Amino acid sequence: MISAKDVTKHYGATQVLRGVSLNVADGDFTVILGASGSGKSTLLNVLSGLERADGGSVQYDGLLLNDLSDKQLTAFRKREVAFIFQQYYLLPHLSVKNNVKLGAALAGNGDFEPILDAVGLRGKADAKPSSLSGGEQQRVCIARALAKQPKTLFLDEPTGALDEQTGREILDYILRLQQERRFTMVMVTHNQNIAETANTIVKMNSGKIVETVTNGAPKGAYEIGW
Amino acid sequence: MTVGLKDGLKLAGVAIVCFCAVFVCTFMLNFYLDVAPLRDTVSEEAIALYEAQLATAKFCSAITGGVLSLTAAVMLLFYLRLYIDAHAAQLGVLKALGYSRFQICRGFWVFGLSVFLGCAAGFGGGWAAMRYIYDSLLIEGMGAIAPRFHTELLFALVAAPSVLFSALACVYPYFVLRRPPLELIRANGKKQKKEKPLPNSKKDRPFLREMCLASLKSKKLLVFFAAFSCFCFAAMTQMGLSMNELTDTGAVMSYMILAIGLVLAAVTAILCVAALLRANRKNIALMKAFGYSLKQCVLCVLGGYLPFAILGFALGTVYQYGLLMLMINVVFAGVESIPSYSFNVPVFFMTLAAFLLSYALLTTLFARKIGKVPVKEIMLEE
Repeated sequence: MISAKDVTKHYGATQVLRGVSLNVADGDFTVILGASGSGKSTLLNVLSGLERADGGSVQYDGLLLNDLSDKQLTAFRKREVAFIFQQYYLLPHLSVKNNVKLGAALAGNGDFEPILDAVGLRGKADAKPSSLSGGEQQRVCIARALAKQPKTLFLDEPTGALDEQTGREILDYILRLQQERRFTMVMVTHNQNIAETANTIVKMNSGKIVETVTNGAPKGAYEIGW
Repeated sequence: MTVGLKDGLKLAGVAIVCFCAVFVCTFMLNFYLDVAPLRDTVSEEAIALYEAQLATAKFCSAITGGVLSLTAAVMLLFYLRLYIDAHAAQLGVLKALGYSRFQICRGFWVFGLSVFLGCAAGFGGGWAAMRYIYDSLLIEGMGAIAPRFHTELLFALVAAPSVLFSALACVYPYFVLRRPPLELIRANGKKQKKEKPLPNSKKDRPFLREMCLASLKSKKLLVFFAAFSCFCFAAMTQMGLSMNELTDTGAVMSYMILAIGLVLAAVTAILCVAALLRANRKNIALMKAFGYSLKQCVLCVLGGYLPFAILGFALGTVYQYGLLMLMINVVFAGVESIPSYSFNVPVFFMTLAAFLLSYALLTTLFARKIGKVPVKEIMLEE
């Protein structure tokens, strides 16, 4: 369970988060929805231990992230969470398999190859990222993140750099894998339609949560508009 | 893991500087180790030359080894900085995923491979040239000296530098990557600095002058390489040509000094130009798109470095004069066959002419490269 209470965050004189409180239950899929500059990515970074809150508290399964040193935060991220960003940031000199192994090695996961099947990249295991399409590269990122066997997966606009068809495909992979493996998932997006795939939708504006919606009937990737 | 083997082997500049350093140190130190124990066999008349030759061997090794090691270290740090800047986002993601700085940085050892290759080739080259060098350093009355292999030199000139530079390649990123993962991912390696407001007198500077200063500020370390390149060119060319005129037996040494100087000057000049071109591709593409001429683009990027290049040339000229005066008047003071030395004016003007010609050539080549910068492709890059 992730629990944020009265979280504030400044960048210089600009206040980006203004007393945000939020709970994410284990196994839940939460989408943080908002326009550019609403503070949604900053909230994701604070919840995942990538950044520290200036005020308030963030607890992860009872562990207070605010008090952790840089070293402890690194250990926390290694143990608990994984990320998928809008850009792929794969290591260009490593093959697909070795990029995935980067994530697996952190968790001591020797049996990471089935994840390549799960994202449909078994046939391209030895290919270099530069020879892959954008969608395939993002699938490598999904595999790299899941090979870590994280308890929580944080995604920052994972389909933002992709065309509609590839975006749907990636979203479908993510949703299917989340339902199969039941990890907690927090995704940031500005796309209202993508938000309809989540169990919980948190709407943000000007650094505040303006609405939290529980979605009784989440849609699939191919059921939403784009 | 974090750095590919190919990346580690790509540092041609570092390898060449290491080659030059180890090449000179190998035969100089080998000569010293071979000749030092033979003092008792040297005749009274030859003792001054013997002492001078030993001092030269020590002096040359210390100067060449010291200066070039420092240059190779600065070059390695420069390459590492470029690599980290280019791959900051990937390294940031590794940190975000939970890799510690130590785990990430230990992969940088592969940059030491270039040092190993340069040192090993320099050691081999030094041995290949050993016979000719020994002939040119022959001391009358001692007869021919056969070079002997010294294992300690192999360790000191190949193994130790490779290990030390590999360690440096791991330690430097360890400090650079202290920044939080998000900062690395967002800024893509470039540290966000607060811009100081410009004083009014500087606000109205012409655009081209502003661009020129911005280009200079963005790659400050290149000032060192530009000055060093011209320093090497001026010092080694003048020293090589002057030595050739000073002594008959110094021909091999003088050509060697000349060759090393030209190689070092060329390597550092190419490094400068390549780095400048890479760093300014977008600016140049934008200027071209707005209709600035090639000449204006070239002046914008290279113009700021000209004063430092001239400074390097002047320092190199003074350095070689001082060094030759020291060698002739102090180290070889007791040796009768060494003629007196004064500043070699014709050689200076020849070198100056060659310097200006090289600068013009480099500028032309740079302009050609800029001419090939694809405007649309670069502007569409992320």
